[in-house]
Amino acid sequence: MTTKPRQRVEENNGAKRPISITAVVDCVGVLATGSVHGQLYLYDTNKAGGSTGFGTEELRTRVRRGDQLLWNVLALECEAYVSIDDIVVDREVCEPERRVYPGTDVAYWIATVKKDGITSVPYQIKFKVGTRTEAFTAPVSASLVG
Amino acid sequence: MPQQLAIIVLVDVGNALESGTLDGNTYLFDNMKLQGSTNQGTGELVTAINGSYWLDGSQASEQVLNWLPYSLGSIPPTVPRGYTAERARQTDQQALADLDALSVKPPATDTEAAAELGRIKRTVGTRIKTTRRTRGRLSGQKILDVTGQVVTDENTGAHSYPAPVITDVFGAAVDEKIMYPAEYGSPDLVTDGWYWSATVDTSRPGTYAYSMRIQLHRLVQEGGEALWQPVNLTCQSDIKVTSAPRRNAFTKAGVGMLPIPPSPPRP
Repeated sequence: MTTKPRQRVEENNGAKRPISITAVVDCVGVLATGSVHGQLYLYDTNKAGGSTGFGTEELRTRVRRGDQLLWNVLALECEAYVSIDDIVVDREVCEPERRVYPGTDVAYWIATVKKDGITSVPYQIKFKVGTRTEAFTAPVSASLVG
Repeated sequence: MPQQLAIIVLVDVGNALESGTLDGNTYLFDNMKLQGSTNQGTGELVTAINGSYWLDGSQASEQVLNWLPYSLGSIPPTVPRGYTAERARQTDQQALADLDALSVKPPATDTEAAAELGRIKRTVGTRIKTTRRTRGRLSGQKILDVTGQVVTDENTGAHSYPAPVITDVFGAAVDEKIMYPAEYGSPDLVTDGWYWSATVDTSRPGTYAYSMRIQLHRLVQEGGEALWQPVNLTCQSDIKVTSAPRRNAFTKAGVGMLPIPPSPPRP
């Protein structure tokens, strides 16, 4: 956990808004088909910075060292439940951590990019949907690109 | 009673303000993919609206659409209603408690006292100036970042944008009296109580365009104070009304046409 103190410092400098990555999940579709495939739309706020693949399962988010990344999830049906269960990514690149908005139980995942000069680092998001206990893993991978 | 259909309007507010357009910065979804809606998750959504008829061919009922505007890269709409106001209260209480503690047990040196006061000031954050134009939903609130913490230096651009607000639905579909939109109020927890809804006349098939006027808010400094300046932009979408009868959607009941033929009277 040697990276913790530096991460804290970078947060306090708070230079800019994190790059937010939003997953829109068609919960009904996931529960009906038993898969996230075809029911997931990914977006980020770094379009101007060169991210591509908006609205697909293969979002490519352009990142640099020191960028903060924040993942959250929206359900297509406003009554449906969906949350991010885990983000599986190379720990050498970033270590996503689950946190909640202060005073609520609404979660987000946050990480700081540790490396520069990465080419393409795929990662997978696991979702909890509805009342299913086991998580659904996105079969197609989103990625962080340098 | 027709099914209520929802159209999510997801706006990349930061990028839209920067580029001055909603084109390429707006992503639309509806929950009618299985009914034939196309281009989900893009700016070119075509919402399928299937007419519904009784067996004699007369129109059974209108379709109802609801629009939900969301902001990409802001505090999500799943936090409780009035979250920013709640955070403003929480941080005020924290600052008061800290000041109280400071008065009970003053620090030994002035430097320490100044440092402690500086820390409390950061807890308080910045309050949005209220003007006649911005009074209401956003007034008196604090600037929060996307993790729900108060922002102490609003020049860094770390703030979360307020959710976009639809202020009008208009265009060809409305002019041709296919769609009858209006803004409604309800104790809706997701959209802060106000939402745009429309009934659609399903008796005239065709593809009709409509436009939405959407208000975004830019954080500006005026006379040393921070305020949200409204920015009005428009985006377009389509509805495609078809006259094909609806199919049954009840689980495991087959996909026969609706309405279900009347069953013979019971003896």
